[in-house]
Amino acid sequence: MSTSHSDIQVSAAYYDGRTAAGKLVTLSINGEEWLLRSGAGELRWPMSDVSVSERLGNTPRLLRHAAGGHCEIGDQAGLDRLLARAGRRRHWLEGVQHSLIWALAALVLIVVAIAGGYRYVLPWGAEIVAMRVPEVVLQKMGDSTLQTLDRFALKPSTLGAVRQQELSDAFARLQPLADARSRYHIVFRSAPGAGANAFALPDGTIVMLDELVELTKDDNEILSVLAHERGHVERRHAMRMVLQSSVVGLVLAWYVGDVSGLLATAPTIIMQAKYSRDMEREADEYAERTMQLNGLSPCLLANILEKLEASHLARLRGNPSANAEKESEALGYLSSHPATHERSDLLCPAKSSQ
Amino acid sequence: MQGQSGRQNQSFEFTGRGWEYFRIWIVNVLLTILTLGVYSAWAKVRRLQYFYRNTRLADASFDYHGAPKAILKGRIIAFALLIAYNGAFQFNPKLGLVVGLLLALVMPWLLMRSLRFKLYNSSYRGLRFGFAGKARGAYGAFLKYPILAGLSAYLLAPLAHQRIKQYQFDNSRFGSTAFRFSAAVKGFYLLYLSALAVLAGAVLLAITLALMTGVGEGIQRLVTAFMTAGPTIMLILVAAVLAVSALFSAYMQNLVWGNTELGEHRFFSYVSARRLLWIRITNFVGVVMTLGLYIPFATIRMLRFRLESMGVVVHGDLSDFVSGEQQQATASGEETAEMFDVDISF
Repeated sequence: MSTSHSDIQVSAAYYDGRTAAGKLVTLSINGEEWLLRSGAGELRWPMSDVSVSERLGNTPRLLRHAAGGHCEIGDQAGLDRLLARAGRRRHWLEGVQHSLIWALAALVLIVVAIAGGYRYVLPWGAEIVAMRVPEVVLQKMGDSTLQTLDRFALKPSTLGAVRQQELSDAFARLQPLADARSRYHIVFRSAPGAGANAFALPDGTIVMLDELVELTKDDNEILSVLAHERGHVERRHAMRMVLQSSVVGLVLAWYVGDVSGLLATAPTIIMQAKYSRDMEREADEYAERTMQLNGLSPCLLANILEKLEASHLARLRGNPSANAEKESEALGYLSSHPATHERSDLLCPAKSSQ
Repeated sequence: MQGQSGRQNQSFEFTGRGWEYFRIWIVNVLLTILTLGVYSAWAKVRRLQYFYRNTRLADASFDYHGAPKAILKGRIIAFALLIAYNGAFQFNPKLGLVVGLLLALVMPWLLMRSLRFKLYNSSYRGLRFGFAGKARGAYGAFLKYPILAGLSAYLLAPLAHQRIKQYQFDNSRFGSTAFRFSAAVKGFYLLYLSALAVLAGAVLLAITLALMTGVGEGIQRLVTAFMTAGPTIMLILVAAVLAVSALFSAYMQNLVWGNTELGEHRFFSYVSARRLLWIRITNFVGVVMTLGLYIPFATIRMLRFRLESMGVVVHGDLSDFVSGEQQQATASGEETAEMFDVDISF
């Protein structure tokens, strides 16, 4: 018997891999060999042929021979002593997976990773992808969105053809920024229930509502809104929103999925509000540059933003229904647009210092 | 370790513990997030190993051998299919339909492969399980019968359900010994009918309540009824749905395992629907109140309950099993691993 034969012995159940019959053995280490002894005889397994399963809670540890056959060991502490004697290092995950401190640290890191991913990584990734989405896809998205809106929310415009042409021409004369990629066309619609607004579809279609045209006498103010919408299109905001909310939805469905599909949808909507605030600022900034290029004052946009807000507030007050405010919030207008005065100050500092 | 003769009941035993699993689970979640989902394959292996090794029968535990890379491959395929399906539908409904149809055509084959993967990678006492199901049977169970069920306004749904279970269980092996599945279609119809009866009873109760509390005629009567008894009616319906789903789930396990044999040994399963419902409700409350941190505890609780409700009537000795052919070709172990290299769980 070799001098390096360890005095530590651990009992184990041995299975040969050919039958389900188990045999009680005592396990020890002799030099570079595992020694399996039973009443009937002994087996010698060279260490290089044997893999030891990692520790996983208090589950039995397994010693597997490459040619079949394994030992099941219930005595965790005994095996650990034996392995320490054999000089085997533990995998770092084994320690991590069994410590309460690490569990708490993991919890904190998860919260940090989710917050950071949501705030920085997701918008960054969505932008990269959105900027590479082919024009055809944007075209499809724009078409189907307009079709849906026309069916459910929008009515034909009551503006005269001459007036429509006038606005379209003015918009066509607006010189785009150097990096502009999209082609634009304006469609005129009316939405008496929704209030004054204009919005851009991913393919460059800008939907102009009669209520917005009627809000101001200065066509340059309308142009400023169009420049803002252009920012949404150029920066692919709609596509980015779709991507971001799909990822958020997917992650939430995966996490909350077991509990309830209902719970998963509500937070998605709430969380989107933050994104669109950033996007509004980005579109404002884009509009500002476009207007400066065309010799127009960014204050025009500030003006009409304030008029828009005033008209929406008036609509809320004019509607005595208790649900009006809630409805408006649910539509995302109030929550998704950053405080108007804040935007207005950024666009037109001169105005705020008056 | 000595063999015993005669009959004896051996219950499954589950030794997993909530706090212990919590630590493994939370590290899995963290690493999955940090690797944008890639680690989820490794996480699945650790999770299943923890569950399998904590499942004991007659003083021996089960083990799971799935290779994380194979699981990762399967997940990438499943993810790609999901994206293709959703993307196609967003892009063009007709294209979506075509992709959906193609998906339906490959699904049975994928399910067969993943059953093979799952069973081949499970072992007990050093012997691997196996799955001998062929593609033909898979297309019958996962495509033909579900379509028939749909065409018959779900009158044939219990039959389709029986065929799926039959395909799964009748083709399973432990070593060289085959599982035998003997649950008749009748049992499935009885279970579906009793579930339907409970639901119908609840709906009837709700309607009666509405008729009793409503005032006026026609629509007005309905509206007034729902204004006064609405919450009670909703409560009755929700309770009925919860109760029926627990009943269905418990009795289905009992029906399927209660009619399965492995060689000379017969399985038994006595899941109590009432206990199952209680665990589900308390688990749900726990998970919601802790924003999900209770999930590992809930999983352990449910697994322990379901596993410890079943067992095997051992006839003779559990040591008598011998390995199947695939097992004897141990030298070509890597080759077999290559053959069963896709795991897709839906």
